[in-house]
Amino acid sequence: MNTDAEARTRAGRSESGAPGVARRNPRFPVGVNYYPLDSEVSTWEEWYAGDVDGDFAAFAAAGLTLVRIFISWKLFEPQVDRYSEQATDRLRTIVDAAAIHGLRLMVCFFADDRHADLLDVVWARKRDPRTDSYLIERETALVRHIVERHRADRAVFAWELANEVFCCGFESAQALESWAATLREAVRELDPDRPVMLSFDPETLFHAARVDGRGALRECEIAVSHPTMRYRTYAAEGPIASGSSTYLDSFLLHMGPSGKPVLFDDVGSHMLEDSHAEEAAALRCALYSGLMNGASGALVRRWRDMATDRREPYFVDPYEAVVGVCDSGGEPKAAMRELDAFTRMAAHLDLQTYELTAERMAVVVPAERRAALPALASLYTPRACLESYIRAKEAHVPVTMTHEDDEFDPFAVLIVPSVTDLSDTTWERLGAWVQVGGSLVFSYGGGEFGPAAREIFGVDFLGHGGARTRATCRIAQQNLLGALEPFEVAAEVPHFALLGAGTSTVIATDSAGSPLVTLNRYGQGRAICVAAPFERVLGQAGLRTPPAEVQTFLRILYGAVADVAGCGPLVDCDAPGVEVALFAGEEDDVLLLLNHMGEPVTASVGFVVSVASVTDIRGGAPVAVGGRSFSVPLGQYGVMALRLCYA
Amino acid sequence: MAERSQQVLLAEGLARQGRIAPAVTACYQALRADERDPLVHCLLGGLMLEEGFCEQAATSAARAIEIDPGCAAAYFVLGLAYDRMGGMWDRSVLVWQELAEVVPDLATAYVQLGEALCAASFADEAVAAWRRALEIDPREPRAMYHLAVAALKREGMATALPGFRKAGELDPSQDEFFFVLTGYDVDGLPTLGMTEIEADRTSRLRAAHAFAANDELFKAAELIRLVLGEHADDIEAISLMAHLYLKQESVNEAMACALRALTLSTHTPTAVYALGVAFARRPALADHAAKLFSVLTTMAAGHAMPHVLHAESLLALQRYSNAGEAYRAALALDPGCVRALFGQAAVALTVGDHTGAEWAIRRAAYHDIRRRGYFWGPYDAAAGGREQ
Repeated sequence: MNTDAEARTRAGRSESGAPGVARRNPRFPVGVNYYPLDSEVSTWEEWYAGDVDGDFAAFAAAGLTLVRIFISWKLFEPQVDRYSEQATDRLRTIVDAAAIHGLRLMVCFFADDRHADLLDVVWARKRDPRTDSYLIERETALVRHIVERHRADRAVFAWELANEVFCCGFESAQALESWAATLREAVRELDPDRPVMLSFDPETLFHAARVDGRGALRECEIAVSHPTMRYRTYAAEGPIASGSSTYLDSFLLHMGPSGKPVLFDDVGSHMLEDSHAEEAAALRCALYSGLMNGASGALVRRWRDMATDRREPYFVDPYEAVVGVCDSGGEPKAAMRELDAFTRMAAHLDLQTYELTAERMAVVVPAERRAALPALASLYTPRACLESYIRAKEAHVPVTMTHEDDEFDPFAVLIVPSVTDLSDTTWERLGAWVQVGGSLVFSYGGGEFGPAAREIFGVDFLGHGGARTRATCRIAQQNLLGALEPFEVAAEVPHFALLGAGTSTVIATDSAGSPLVTLNRYGQGRAICVAAPFERVLGQAGLRTPPAEVQTFLRILYGAVADVAGCGPLVDCDAPGVEVALFAGEEDDVLLLLNHMGEPVTASVGFVVSVASVTDIRGGAPVAVGGRSFSVPLGQYGVMALRLCYA
Repeated sequence: MAERSQQVLLAEGLARQGRIAPAVTACYQALRADERDPLVHCLLGGLMLEEGFCEQAATSAARAIEIDPGCAAAYFVLGLAYDRMGGMWDRSVLVWQELAEVVPDLATAYVQLGEALCAASFADEAVAAWRRALEIDPREPRAMYHLAVAALKREGMATALPGFRKAGELDPSQDEFFFVLTGYDVDGLPTLGMTEIEADRTSRLRAAHAFAANDELFKAAELIRLVLGEHADDIEAISLMAHLYLKQESVNEAMACALRALTLSTHTPTAVYALGVAFARRPALADHAAKLFSVLTTMAAGHAMPHVLHAESLLALQRYSNAGEAYRAALALDPGCVRALFGQAAVALTVGDHTGAEWAIRRAAYHDIRRRGYFWGPYDAAAGGREQ
């Protein structure tokens, strides 16, 4: 996602302090949602009468580039087919103000904002704006009305058809696709070039509404990714800056559609219950995660806190956005400082020169994710996939997510975590992929082992061994798959596959000698089978403590398989909780480190070639290294961005 | 009301065996037969909650309540689901209040109500709810833990410590630990009538332990006196006597017994335990208690409780950082140790880590509910009521 040259030039007006360095990164724009209300007790008309210039000046001063604004259908079309001149003029004022401040607008047409009643069109008589043909006709006309007036405005960056809350009201993927196609066509008739978007995350939308939005996103030029409050509670229970929570944003980013720029959306805390320090830590982790995982830009959840009733704490609806980077009086909070520091840092990373290392390891999201209840696999799967993703990250292997029906060819290692059922076609595709050199890590999640699976893994499936209350690992073959350690811990293991070794090599067993990990050479590739769904064990821990031994086991296993497959970490790091991203340049590289832990850590990083010196990316004197490794101190949830010069 | 169908019984059986996925399938089958069976919705909610699928749990429980507003187990599931989802405290408060109306003598409802009120920043109302829980059941440890935490927030550790200590005494895990140290499997011991006990040391000691475990302290003491009448230096008997005195708040006598046992043999974990507990009840002797519990962590390696006791004595000495380490050691051995989790919350509060404290308390509540089988009691009552 690239903003135009004009915006870049204007952006250059804000300097970082380092002479000649723009404070905005044109290839990683940072922005904010500009919600129409700052106070629960005010009306949308009041906001509409206000002056946006001051806010836009503040956005520009903070180094922001993008602003999402929301159209009020209610205000634009108070009577059928009669558009309010006042609303039309107001939008013109906003667009002009954005242009003056070098901001680009994402114009969201249909947002179900509970406070502002944006869709509460009186004459609609409670008909559903998603499915009622007459209302869709009126929606199309409104879109045309606005696009026609602003298609020549360079300050408009993209047209956004609807937000996730609106899309959650659809009852089927087909209805969503049909609605999106109609509205998109209305935009395209008048503006053939500008990006058209739908600002829902397909994973969170599916979780909330059981609607598969991937089809509707196919026609969009830009996708978005964001964890909703509801999804965060489901997938990463606990404080916002701890455990799995800080990985959730990048996990969803990778879950999104591949091949499209993905905007890291709604970044920041959801609840006013979190302290300012926690909000800041969460924002820092999310922003850096986005940059380190290939997002195309980031949009902060809200500028100001919303002044709410004196209810303590404010009841947070999953869809309400009440937490900003400034308090309700406009005073900057700690999160604002984080945002400022991030935009300053990001401005120094030229994403045209430096390229993020491509991921050749992927976690496969099985199609059973989309199965209907009572199949619980659909609920277990995202948690297992998230755990798998985190363990790969802890092994410092560049990793992404892929879906069962996606192409496997771009990857050297595939992890299929805790799966109950894969289709025969998938097994055939996996078999063919392993035959030509792929490395497959599969963990058993219950169900049957088909003939194809037996052939790929070279094992005999002797049956389901039942649930266990302890997870045990005894090492049978040392160092064939990394330095796996034996362990025995209390853990609720829901399944265990009783395997006969067959033609495979048994790497580890359970306490009774039944194979736990097997390795099979299949064609030119390797197939590793884990007899227990350890990813699910970790994912289901919830309020229980996840067994650290199992976490370590998976981390070592994934790291070892990636190493053997030739797609291991480019940078060694001795701290599993520190995420590492290497942006490779022609003459030097940029290293980003993010500590996901709540404790300070000193991470030792190692390289295959000798590093001559390191420099803070924002400038300063180089520090001589003269070796292949050096240590970096990181505070709790701390970050570091270093430019590396090699000897 | 109709009896439970075969599908419901199947679902229940599977659920009781912990076979969640087939139990959920059985619930769906049962609902196909009768969509308006509140028990099945309630069971389904309980199963979903067990797996941490709170939204689904809340949906099922709400449906059960809609069909049968008297279904206590469904209120339990709904309240817990809201609590875990977070940010829904006002709904949660309503649910717990309704449960307290449906089952007025259920102390746990007030404990949960207090937690929801506390999370919603209604601190005074929360304290009132926990006090009400203790009025209904004076042996409710979680209510006492919460009161101690509330005292810590308001007035500091000095005021809170007796509360933590009292909560620890109410917590059954400490007595369980003592009997683990004795080596008697008190769960497997029959409690005989006094006349049925044979007049030998072994039989008397075994029976005394069984009585002590069942809180029949006078019977236990009588048997111990008989043993000591024949063998005055019987270390096992003296140690059990120390424990019995502790149970009766006779700290000086307990101290004397424990010291006597240790004079006879320093390698007596039960005596070290009893002396440590006695010292811990005297604020001026907290330092001695800490030393004894430190020794006990080595003598009873692999058990979480000595670390918890050690941590509590360190709290009394205001050595919060060391206490935190001791609690972490306890949780490494037993991640579900409710007492250690509450202690960890206390330590977090001393350094202003309110989020950490809240998270520890939430986990403590979860483990407490789990170990006490929150769901099946009300569920069985509802199912039993239907069949009568």
